[in-house]
Amino acid sequence: MKLFTKYNRVNLLATTIIFLLASIAFSVLITYVLVSQLDENLDIERHEIKNYIEKYNRLPETIPVKDQYTSYVLTNDPPKKKKFATIRAYVAESHEYEMQRAVVFPITVNGQSYSVTVAKSMEGTDDMIRSVIAITLITICTILVVSFLTNRILLRKLWQPFYGTVDKLKNYRIGRLEKIEFPQTDIDEFSLLNSTLESATGKANEDYLLLKAFTENASHELQTPIAVIRSKLDVLIQDEQLTETQSSLVEEAYEHIRKITKLNQSLLLLAKIENRQFMEITAVALQPLIIAKLKQFKELLRHKGIDVIVDLQEATVNMDPYLADVLLNNLLSNAIRHNAANGSIKITLAPHELSMGNSGVDHALDNSQLFVRFSKTSNAAEYNGLGLSIIKEICAVNNYSIGYSFRERLHTFTLNWK
Amino acid sequence: MKILIIEDNVALSKSICDFLAAENFVCETAYDFHTAMEKVSLYEYGCILLDIGLPDGSGLEILKELKENNKTDGVLIVSAKNSLDDKIAGLNAGADDYLSKPFHLPELGARVAAIIRRRSFEGKNLISFDELTIDINAKTAQVNEQELDLTRKEYDLLLYFVSNKNKVISKGAIAEHLWGDDMDMADNYDLIYTHIKNLRKKMMQAGTPDYIQSVYGMGYKFAVPK
Repeated sequence: MKLFTKYNRVNLLATTIIFLLASIAFSVLITYVLVSQLDENLDIERHEIKNYIEKYNRLPETIPVKDQYTSYVLTNDPPKKKKFATIRAYVAESHEYEMQRAVVFPITVNGQSYSVTVAKSMEGTDDMIRSVIAITLITICTILVVSFLTNRILLRKLWQPFYGTVDKLKNYRIGRLEKIEFPQTDIDEFSLLNSTLESATGKANEDYLLLKAFTENASHELQTPIAVIRSKLDVLIQDEQLTETQSSLVEEAYEHIRKITKLNQSLLLLAKIENRQFMEITAVALQPLIIAKLKQFKELLRHKGIDVIVDLQEATVNMDPYLADVLLNNLLSNAIRHNAANGSIKITLAPHELSMGNSGVDHALDNSQLFVRFSKTSNAAEYNGLGLSIIKEICAVNNYSIGYSFRERLHTFTLNWK
Repeated sequence: MKILIIEDNVALSKSICDFLAAENFVCETAYDFHTAMEKVSLYEYGCILLDIGLPDGSGLEILKELKENNKTDGVLIVSAKNSLDDKIAGLNAGADDYLSKPFHLPELGARVAAIIRRRSFEGKNLISFDELTIDINAKTAQVNEQELDLTRKEYDLLLYFVSNKNKVISKGAIAEHLWGDDMDMADNYDLIYTHIKNLRKKMMQAGTPDYIQSVYGMGYKFAVPK
């Protein structure tokens, strides 16, 4: 729910309730005032009748006055004092009932007791109250509609900088060198938001760049010691005095130095790709590159008894040629490494799509973990889990999409580009 | 034959020296830019190993200095930065070859041997080892005038062995030499064995003694059997 909708809902409800209460109070008050007015008029009539009787000692003639009815009823049981009441009475002229305000009071003429009723029609009063209610309702509606519209327009305008900020933030990718610039606003809250975001993203970006630089520097710094250790081993194995036990120790050391080297190279490559150091974009024809790669891996494929099925159309990508090579290399290495014995690899190249599938374990892999650094979907401790991260990063810097699927019992990676 | 090793890391420099010394090379070392500049201007070397990233100057400067003074020393660039730019810059400036760290010493040995060969036997491209003769240009090998029928990989392997004769070469170094470090051959070392087996068979059928010795499964050594 939008803030405005929520605000408006509360606002409109409160306004309506207040207006309804106010109009009820208003109509009650008006009724009271008008009835009091009628009562006063009726009292004046009563006084006139009384004065007339005192003066002439007889009942006054009933002169028909519009909306006023006077009646004298001879009674033995006259009301004790004057009494006002609202009654419903039949009007002969219009042949219908109407509401009337009446005063009933006793008088005595020539020793005879009369109960006098003077009634005035309340039709006018009702009309007035109806008008008041109508005016009130119209006012409420008008106010609601107008406030709804103005709020909508005004608030949309007021929130404009907010949406501007959100838009900027949405398009922002951490690690970019350019600083994020938020739209200027003269509203304090929004400029506070903007300046806070600016410093927060700036800090995050700075940390991120430092971390990236750290990875690259660390990998660089590690290269020399690794080179030293490896060279020492190369010198050590020249020693003719080396026993078999020592040799197997050296062999294990070699094995792990090889792993560190590979890991370090992968990390360095990742850092360089992230830092966009491979940006010599050229049109790379994939078909010949794939054929060359297959030739390069031919021996290994034959050795592992892997059957390669290719369906290659011509396709060109715009990317750094070195990265294109790394990409294919990693995809193919991956497909060979995780393949089953005497398995198969299926490579399909279309103008905007490359997919490479390999046989292997007989269930789909966990898609969420696949491209995560150092995550190992298989138990192969041999591999550092960076191969797919590198593929993903290459796709990311070139805006290609990459996805994994398990179809026809093949673990398939599909790349798409425009 | 004198070799100059320009490398700021003393330990690595020493390993290289130890390894190459057995090859009848006389190694000199320079650990910094100024010593290196001084040495290259004073003496001549069969081959100079040049680390590009020296702490007090760029190896490329040394290379330029060499070329400006029309020195003919062979230069092998060694760089920690596995970057294409460095490689191109180095080769453009007149280096003979490029090797990125970390490398296997036998690989370095083979590269140095190749550079020296190119520089010193101008026009002559034959390497001899015992009964074996390798023609670098034709990429062929002969035993007693009889040509061996070698595959490309077997020839590469043979040349690598001969360039590092009497040295133990680890399986990893062989794998990297034959397939490059793009391919992760770690779990496929038996492929090396297949090639070695075939090479050995072909040489012995041609009448050579068994030159290739396996060293505790750790690596191989190419030598004339005692």
